[in-house]
Amino acid sequence: MYYEIKKVLSRRGRWIALLFPVAVLILVLYFMLSDTWYTNSSGNRQTGFAAIAGQKAAVREWSGLLTEERLAQVIEENHRINSSKEHQSEDVQQQNIAYSRKQGIKDILYTMGFAYGSFQDWNYAAADSLTKEQASEFYPNRVIRLKEWLAGEGADGFHEKEKQYLIRQYEALETPYYYEYQDGWKNLLQWSPTIIMITTLVLAYLCAGIFADEFRLKAGSVFYSSCHGRGKAVRAKVKAGFLIATAMYWMEMLLYSAVVLGIYGTQGINCPIQSTMSGWKSFYNITNGQEYLLILFGGYLGCIFMTALVMLVSAAAKSSLLAVMVPFVLIFLPSFLGEIRHPLMQKILGLLPDQLLQMNAVVKYFNLYGIGGKITGAAPVLLVLYSVLLVIVAPVIYVTYRRKQVY
Amino acid sequence: MELKVTNLTKEFKETTAVDHISLSMENGVYGLLGVNGAGKTTFMRMLCTLITPTSGSITYGGKNIFEMDEEYRKLLGYLPQEFGFYPDFTVWDYLMYIASIKGIRPAAAKKRIRLLLHQTGLARVQNRKMRKLSGGMKRRAGIAQAMLNDPRILILDEPTAGLDPGERVRFRNLISELSQDRLVLLSTHIVSDIEYIANEILLMHAGRIVHAGTQQEILSGAPVRVWTLAVPKEQVAYWQERYTIVNMKTLPRGAELRLLAADCPAQGASEEALTLEDVFLFYFGERTGEEHDVL
Repeated sequence: MYYEIKKVLSRRGRWIALLFPVAVLILVLYFMLSDTWYTNSSGNRQTGFAAIAGQKAAVREWSGLLTEERLAQVIEENHRINSSKEHQSEDVQQQNIAYSRKQGIKDILYTMGFAYGSFQDWNYAAADSLTKEQASEFYPNRVIRLKEWLAGEGADGFHEKEKQYLIRQYEALETPYYYEYQDGWKNLLQWSPTIIMITTLVLAYLCAGIFADEFRLKAGSVFYSSCHGRGKAVRAKVKAGFLIATAMYWMEMLLYSAVVLGIYGTQGINCPIQSTMSGWKSFYNITNGQEYLLILFGGYLGCIFMTALVMLVSAAAKSSLLAVMVPFVLIFLPSFLGEIRHPLMQKILGLLPDQLLQMNAVVKYFNLYGIGGKITGAAPVLLVLYSVLLVIVAPVIYVTYRRKQVY
Repeated sequence: MELKVTNLTKEFKETTAVDHISLSMENGVYGLLGVNGAGKTTFMRMLCTLITPTSGSITYGGKNIFEMDEEYRKLLGYLPQEFGFYPDFTVWDYLMYIASIKGIRPAAAKKRIRLLLHQTGLARVQNRKMRKLSGGMKRRAGIAQAMLNDPRILILDEPTAGLDPGERVRFRNLISELSQDRLVLLSTHIVSDIEYIANEILLMHAGRIVHAGTQQEILSGAPVRVWTLAVPKEQVAYWQERYTIVNMKTLPRGAELRLLAADCPAQGASEEALTLEDVFLFYFGERTGEEHDVL
């Protein structure tokens, strides 16, 4: 296996490819930090590390269980700021000063945009018209809005069992939930698919030649006529592919996670994903930490599975060019097919391997599957399905390659 | 142990590359001689388990080599006609890798590689990348990899192809040196490659072994004699039409022809000693004209 890995990494072009995900990581961090901003009490915008510190301090004042009383305080605080002379002013700088006072509660105000708006349309100004008595409706409204939507606009998309499942999941969310600074997790989860996809594509490039190169280099005759050429040596190739994928994926993801969480901090790990605007409608009752694990392990499974497919095509077609195209097709084709709004197509698309690379999106979609009379979301189906497929594909690669003839 | 081939046939879509070959081989050097396209490579690849036959069998010590699987390949060394390698590996790494897939333990492999690098004259370039080796060095690395497991059966497919005359002689001597106590099957379309080192010669044509035997048997069994004859320039075409001309030397007023004929073709023709090259041209004369380096 040592020499198989050496074969993959001995080419200069492949070393450059290894650095590509690192370059993407740096670029992602740049975008992330550029997009992190905070308005200070003078109404001036700050970005980068100063913004992180400012935002953390602002949210800290409001950290804690988001109880009815706390929500009422948020509504009152929002009203107080809205009625301030700075907020009423025509001057942008003055308005910014008013906004700076809302930064500690902005995520709560954003979720109120859904809780007190309609299910599909987020209402930015919803919180502005609330009374503190309406604070008690915050959590129940999440379920009510879902029920309204399922009875109306969303009625045709789901059968009765699925609707009941969604409602049950919504009702099962533990409330009141905990609120604290969680920008680190938000950023980490949001950009993870980019890192995972780039890593997968680079891995495809690295692993596409593992099998095909023996034929391209005309080295297959010596390989297959050797003692282990149709046994152990083929297994070594499969293992090398998986080892390279595993090592690169974890190095990349752990480096990415460590850097992002190192910059933003780990606060918010136990906040439910519903505590932010983007996760408010999710029926997966999980925390940021749990979503991270889902992304991490789902991404790993997806990455390994794509690598396995690359190796399979490389072994079967003896072409690294064809093999390297596999993840490109699997990642980009669903984007085009997604335009077909047929429920069956959506269900099929929801189970394609590209979904594993973007588990943060999976936990936000209403993709439901009935298995043995039970309804479940796409995430557990994907994890089980591709674990099973991986167990099947790995020996198929071995058998396909060991049977090759050298003409 | 006997390597026995029985009715071996390999058919591709529209051609029969190997056509009902039957023979048996034991220790010694076997020269497989035939023009390009005769089926030599396909035959050898079947002997190396790289291709499965359409019909027929290959046994070693009475056992089917495809069923023996690793047990057979453990005894095998193969240098293919198109010797492929990993260009970014050094010679040492390449040989270590091949040793590993041949099931040789690292310590034993290192010892064996040192010996083979010395024998093949590659010791000085062991840390050089494979892609930076000359054609002759690559071939020597090829023979070194084939010899790594000290094979009982050594199969060399056109080992001297593309080498200059000096390299070719050196390579031939190396093969001769390595051929002790093993079965060596050497294919070539270059007669001189096997003329000096083969114990037995197999003449292959259109997928069949058409003649087999020692060099002496092949020569004495050929129904032809070789003659030299000086002819005027204007008669050269006449002789070319009627006889197989194996050599033509231009003279000031004509040419000296070396031709093949069962009986004396003309007065003044003198009989020469028949060589393997003459016999090869007698059997495959028409085809050899397509080759550049037949002789």
